[in-house]
Amino acid sequence: MTGDTHYDLEILAELAEGLLDASTAEQVREHLAACDPCGELLADLAAVREVLAATPTPAMPMGVAMRIDQALAREASGGRVGLVESPDWDELTREALEPVRLGVVAEDGSIVPARNRRSARRRRWAMPAVAAAAAAVVVGTAAVGTSLMAGGGGSPVKKDNMALPQPSKTSLGYVVTDTDYNWSAQDLKQPLREFFAAAPASEGGGVDTKVTACVSKVSNRTKLKPFMVDQSEFNGQEALIIASWKDKVAQRVRVDVVDPFKCKNIVKPTLGSWN
Amino acid sequence: MWAVALRTLGDPDEAADAVQDAFVSAYRKAHSFRGEAAVTTWLHRIVVNACLDRMRRKSVRPVADDELIEAAERDTPMPDQTGEREVSMEVSAALKRLPADQRAALVLVDMMGYSVEDAAQVLSVPSGTVKSRCARGRAKLAPILSHLRNRTDLSRVSSAKGAELRDG
Repeated sequence: MTGDTHYDLEILAELAEGLLDASTAEQVREHLAACDPCGELLADLAAVREVLAATPTPAMPMGVAMRIDQALAREASGGRVGLVESPDWDELTREALEPVRLGVVAEDGSIVPARNRRSARRRRWAMPAVAAAAAAVVVGTAAVGTSLMAGGGGSPVKKDNMALPQPSKTSLGYVVTDTDYNWSAQDLKQPLREFFAAAPASEGGGVDTKVTACVSKVSNRTKLKPFMVDQSEFNGQEALIIASWKDKVAQRVRVDVVDPFKCKNIVKPTLGSWN
Repeated sequence: MWAVALRTLGDPDEAADAVQDAFVSAYRKAHSFRGEAAVTTWLHRIVVNACLDRMRRKSVRPVADDELIEAAERDTPMPDQTGEREVSMEVSAALKRLPADQRAALVLVDMMGYSVEDAAQVLSVPSGTVKSRCARGRAKLAPILSHLRNRTDLSRVSSAKGAELRDG
């Protein structure tokens, strides 16, 4: 074959993989020796391998590692406790993922929720699953254990025993909560009320102006009125979960999940139900 | 395994679901593990199969918008190096254009550095099949990624293989 007829990328890729029979391979090599354009194509193919090899591979986000550990923990204990009906896994996961947070008693006797763990959370978690499992155990043992037992009886563990202040309306017209919960796309399809209900509200003055600015921006964009904002995480990444009424009578809620820094939607907005 | 799932599926939510399914399924099947392959190979096979299952079930996937890709890249535990991130996004987007089989082969061999034989075990196909899937996948990616070829930070990666082939 001469300079006028070139080989296509697929043939060249097969040559590189040693897939061509000896005589074809020989022909192609002869052509390559004389043909610059085909040589370029071959270099492009080599570059694909290099680009792929050089592309960094991200570590598993902490949230995912914990989800898996919990799924395995449920799997491990599921057989032993002999549940009659399948428990509500999402409910169990949620219970387990919410760290137990004790408030601080202020001088006037009121209880102020513990705060300022944000700096710790900002670290990018790149923990191996084993270490993550240990963390999950520390955070979740009590909740998973009791929920599993309760699961047989049919009612999830209520969190009333925790000294957490109830969410309260602020002058903003919406409630800002700080659950530290790691939301997943699955959660947005569940009744949303439960996710926000047990959450402690950020006290007055505690709401970052960046948060309020971002919520206004989202509100302007959606032309809807937000009523609940959770400063937490989505798939292990810091996020504001903004719930706005789409149709209050029908209890339909639009949820925007935004990056708190750039105020950009991280995932497509979803339409869910409040109850 | 996370990296394999994320790169194969190109979507962090899907990847998380696939890895979780895989681990639970591995846990259930642990008693059937006979030691005929390395444990990691066996686990990877389960992860890859969970990913392929997902892709087949959703064979008509909407093209993920840039925000989703960005979200995936933000999970990277490295400091943001803009150039690196751009490349990473381009690679993710390019991989999504490939058929599932070719993508899975390339993720294992070219991205994760598996040998063709190991990848063949993970994918449960003959080595020759892995080679031809890689070859076809690379042929499709070459025009899309060729502009990244002369990036300085890639030049340190040896291209001895290319030279060797050209010189016969």
